[in-house]
Formats: sequence, structure tokens, C-alpha cells
Amino acid sequence: MVDTPFANAPLVPATNDAAPLLDVRGLSVSFGHGPAAVRLVDNVSFAVGAGERVALVGESGSGKSVTAQALMRLNPHMQVSGVVQIGGCNLVALSDKEMTAERGASIGMVFQDPMSSLDPLMTIGDQVAETLRLRGVSAAAARARALRVLDELRVDRAAERLAAYPHEFSGGMRQRVVIAMALIGEPKVLIADEPTTALDVRVQERVLDLLYSVSKERGLAVLLITHDMGIVAGFADRVMVMYAGRIIEQNDVEPLFASPRHPYTQGLLGAIPRIDQKREQLQSIPGAPPTPFTRPPGCHFNPRCAMAMEICRKDYPAMIETGSARVACHIHGGGHA
Amino acid sequence: MAARVETAAAPARRRLLPYFALHEWLVFLTVAFLVLMALVGPALAPSGIYRSNILNALAPPSAEHWFGTDDQGRDVLWRVVAGAQISLLSSILIVVLYSLIGVAVATAATLGPRWLDEVIMRGTDIGLALPGLVVALGFAAALGPSIQSGIIAMALTGWPMTARLLRTTMRQTMEQPFVDGARALGVSPARLMLTHVLPNSLDVLIVKWAGDINNTLLILASLSFIGVGAQPPSPEWGAMISAGRSTMSTAWWAVAAPGAAVAVTAIAFGFLGDILQARRDPSLRKR
Ligand SMILES: Nc1ncnc2c1ncn2[C@@H]1O[C@H](COP(=O)(O)OP(=O)(O)OP(=O)(O)O)[C@@H](O)[C@H]1O
Ligand SMILES: [Mg+2]
Repeated sequence: MVDTPFANAPLVPATNDAAPLLDVRGLSVSFGHGPAAVRLVDNVSFAVGAGERVALVGESGSGKSVTAQALMRLNPHMQVSGVVQIGGCNLVALSDKEMTAERGASIGMVFQDPMSSLDPLMTIGDQVAETLRLRGVSAAAARARALRVLDELRVDRAAERLAAYPHEFSGGMRQRVVIAMALIGEPKVLIADEPTTALDVRVQERVLDLLYSVSKERGLAVLLITHDMGIVAGFADRVMVMYAGRIIEQNDVEPLFASPRHPYTQGLLGAIPRIDQKREQLQSIPGAPPTPFTRPPGCHFNPRCAMAMEICRKDYPAMIETGSARVACHIHGGGHA
Repeated sequence: MAARVETAAAPARRRLLPYFALHEWLVFLTVAFLVLMALVGPALAPSGIYRSNILNALAPPSAEHWFGTDDQGRDVLWRVVAGAQISLLSSILIVVLYSLIGVAVATAATLGPRWLDEVIMRGTDIGLALPGLVVALGFAAALGPSIQSGIIAMALTGWPMTARLLRTTMRQTMEQPFVDGARALGVSPARLMLTHVLPNSLDVLIVKWAGDINNTLLILASLSFIGVGAQPPSPEWGAMISAGRSTMSTAWWAVAAPGAAVAVTAIAFGFLGDILQARRDPSLRKR
């Protein structure tokens, strides 16, 4: 291949300490009105730099997908507040029309299920090229770019298969197509909501390797949502742990795994089986996470926390920053939020 | 070695004709024959079919008149052939017209704000609650009795069911993950509707169309029977059946021929709907 599949050079050099590409401050999401309103995501703040891969982890129902949908403003019934800054532009404040133009161009998304995230009636070539066609690129040029991106993502015999329909592709190939669709518009930020959960382990690895190298090469900021701590360890630079709609801890990947600070994170990491651990040491967190309707007062984790104190049942802990770590837990001091 | 390389890289051979089973070809041929009959029938038919010849009335089938003659002494078979134009093309035209209205209404309801959806759906409720034949009758009567008024009346009254069905299906299609996928790519709501949601929702109509054509054929015949549709001496099939009923006990052929034409058309279009539906799903397509 002579030229690079991505026409533009990375917008920001791929370093972790550059100004963040994606800067989220005080993001809250609720559904419904009046007394029936329910807050699914509460005051979430984080940043992702160019070329940085950040993982968002947490139990089912903790609000990871809702956060992703809110960043993309995909659900018109969601009431989103806060600031989502990408390249000097606050997505939350945009009109619907302006937001439509930002999708695919500055922020892209890959969904969990590659089987159903492609239009069954449209050819692969047309779907991959769609973002470019929307921006007025000619059919021939869009097709050529689609081909190069598919080649880059190692879709075999891409030229022949542009005219094929999604059902003719395997799960792993479809997910590459989905990633190609998300990347062809050269967004600065890519959200991947459990992109490999539906794939088998080996295909999963290959798809993640591809995402990893694209992020490195292009300086793409990746927000990866996953349940799988194994994936987090291999893929991400930084980890954010979500519990009951809030981020309760975030840190670089090594320190987080080596010394998790929040009792929930400790429990979460304790719950992954490790080869170097004896069986008796495996633990899981007792109890179940609260639903958005039944969040206890104070720290939402307090009923399941072995170390809960009086204050944990009254006040939500403030986020405390020490070095690379940020944790919202009364054990680490700091008072209430 | 060379052979192995070749098989690995052999491109899929293109067929001259898409793959269809024998019974599917039979259906296509029948439909094509009916449509052809509708297009050229009147030009081929002898002019005698519009003139009465009482001396030869109700003649049984013979070498000269394969399906006998009617109470006016006109050749029944040729009248059926010529009548295909009025019956079939009018029905197809009506269904196409009201489907277009239905698609526009359903798209507006799905795309527009909630209140518009509410207004449109209440409107279709009212449209569905009124008996279609009576409304069409009113329209046709107001426009003056002719086949054109019949067509306009039915096109203007036929769409609510289509609109309702399509709008429900479009709402379901909107829930599919690929719709969010397309939105995440920056596809605008209008384009999303036209290039993703609508194409993935039309299946329901394709199946419905076949039944609609039969239905329309019959309502059109009823309008003719009541006197607000096709006017005599038009060889419209429904009108022929109605006219033949009074003499059915002595001259079965005057009813049997147009009756058979209606039945064959109904069956052929029913199967055509099934085949088209299967073909629309690319995973069922053979390449
Ligand atoms: N459209 C919606 N309307 C109302 N509530 C919703 C909606 N979508 C999600 N929720 C609720 O929001 C909470 C968080 O859901 P979310 O899908 O973000 O969880 P998640 O962390 O992605 O879980 P998983 O790991 O299972 O994907 C859940 O309690 C869910 O029931
Ligand atoms: Mg989720």
C-alpha cells in the first residue's frame, strides 16, 4: 500500500500529556419528568487524550452504555447536562443538526453486536462509504477510501467484497467493517461499547489489536466500555470504574491493578480469577448493585461495603486526587461531595 | 498447483438470469401474461365485443366462441381479455397510488414530532373505522360515475391501512441496532428514514400489495355493479360477473370466464407477493 488509508495526519501528536481531546465535565443523564424522573448517570467527569485508550468498567446496569449514548446524544429522550468538549466544541450545547454533523466526523461509535449493527439490505461498500457520501465525497472516491480502510483493517479480499451483504461476513469481519465505518470519517474520539463481547476469544484479540494500532497511529482517543478486566489490562492506558451511575475511581492501568483504592474496585479485581492465585483467595462482592430507583443515600456502595463507616451512609464522598489516582471514598478522606 | 491457486481466487460466476425455482417462474409467467393481456388485450379484441348481437345471445361455448357469448351476444373470452386492462391495470394503479400516499404519511408520522404522529394516527383510525366501500362510493358518486372516479375515490380512501402498518413497522425498524449505528455515523434523520428505515420496513407492504390488488379488483367491481364505476358496455370483470349472475343457471360461461380471470389473478398476485418477500431478504438470495 502506497498511501495511508487515513488521508489526514493525526490532528494531535499521540502523547498522553497533550491537552485532552475529549473532556467530559459534570455529565448527568436522566430519563422522564417530574417525580418519575430517574438519574441514570450522575456528575461524571473524565478526559481522554489523543492516542489514549481509556477503559470504562463496571457491573451490568452501572450506566456505561447510557454514558456512551449521552456522549453521542443518540437517545433524544435522554436529558443530558454537563459539558462534553471535543476540540473546543461542547456537544451538549449543539443543536440537533449540528450534532448530526459532529457524529462520525469528530466522535464515532462502535456497538456491541456486529450481527445487528449493519443494515442487512445495504452492501458493505455502501455502508462503509456512507459517512463520506454524507459529506459530499464522490461515489468513486468514497469507494476507493472505503477499500483502503477495509484493507487497513485486514478485511480479506476487500475489493471483491464491497458488493457483498452483511450476512456474507463472519462476526469478526463484520466488526471490522463496523470499525471501518466508524473510522472512515476520521473522528478524533471513538467510543467502543463492548465491541468484542459477541466475538470468540481469538477474533476478539485480533479486533482489539487493530483498534490498538489505529489508536497509536492516528492519535485516536478511544473510550472502551467492557466487563472484561483481562481486556482492560491488555488494551487500556487508564481505567475508570463506574458504580451506580458514578465514576468511583480512575487511575492508570498499572497502579489501578496493583493497588486499587476503592473497596468496590478491590472487590471487582478480586472477582477475576488469576492463575497465580489460590482458589480460596477468590472473592466476589456480596449483594447486588442498586437500580437507578433504589440507590441508597450516602455512598451508593455502602450497603455492600465491608469497610462502610457512619459517614458513608450519609454523605456521598468527594473525588480525591492523589497523583494519577482519583477516588471517591471516605476511607481516603476528603469529606462529602 | 496452478489449479489450486485458480480455484482459490475464482470469482463468483455471474448468472445470466437470477436463480428462480420452477413454480416461481410459473407465477412470473402468469403475472406477465396477465399484465400483457391488460396492455394489448383491447387492441387485439374484435370490435364486436362492444356491440350487442341479441340473435346470438347466451350461445354455449363453441369453436367460434370458446367461452360462449353473454346476454348481449358478445364473445365472453374476448371481453375477458379486453377487460383485463380496466380491471387489472386500474387495480394496480389504485394500489400504487394509495401506497405512495401511505408511505408518505407513515414517513411523516415516524419522522415528525410526536403531536404530528398522534394527529396522523387518529386520522387513520377514523379512516379505518369508515367502511372503505361506502366512502369510495361517496367519493365516486360525488365525482360522477366513471372508471376514473372509481380510481380516484379508491386511491384517496385506500391508504390508511398501509400507513398504519408501515408506521408500526418503521417504529420497530427504528429499534434495530443498525439504525443507531447509522445515526452514530452522522446520518441525518430524513436520510436515515429514506435509506435505512424505509427500505427495511417495506417487506410488509410487498406482501400486502398482492392481497390489496385482489381486494381492489373486487371493490372496483362492486363500484361498477352499483353503477358508479365502470359503465356499460365496458368489459370490466366485476361488472361482467354481476351482469352474468342473472343468467347463471342457463349460461354458466358468462360468469365462469371472468370469475376464473379474477381467481387466477388473485392466486398469481398472492404468490408473487410471497416470492418478492423472500427475495427482498438478501440472506435468502442465492448468488
Ligand atoms: N432508554 C432507557 N430508559 C430508561 N432506563 C434506561 C434506558 N437505558 C438504560 N436504562 C437504565 O440505565 C441503567 C444503566 O444502563 P446501561 O445500559 O448504561 O448499563 P451498562 O453499564 O451499559 O450495563 P451492561 O454492562 O449490562 O451493558 C440501567 O438500570 C438501565 O435499566
Ligand atoms: Mg451496556
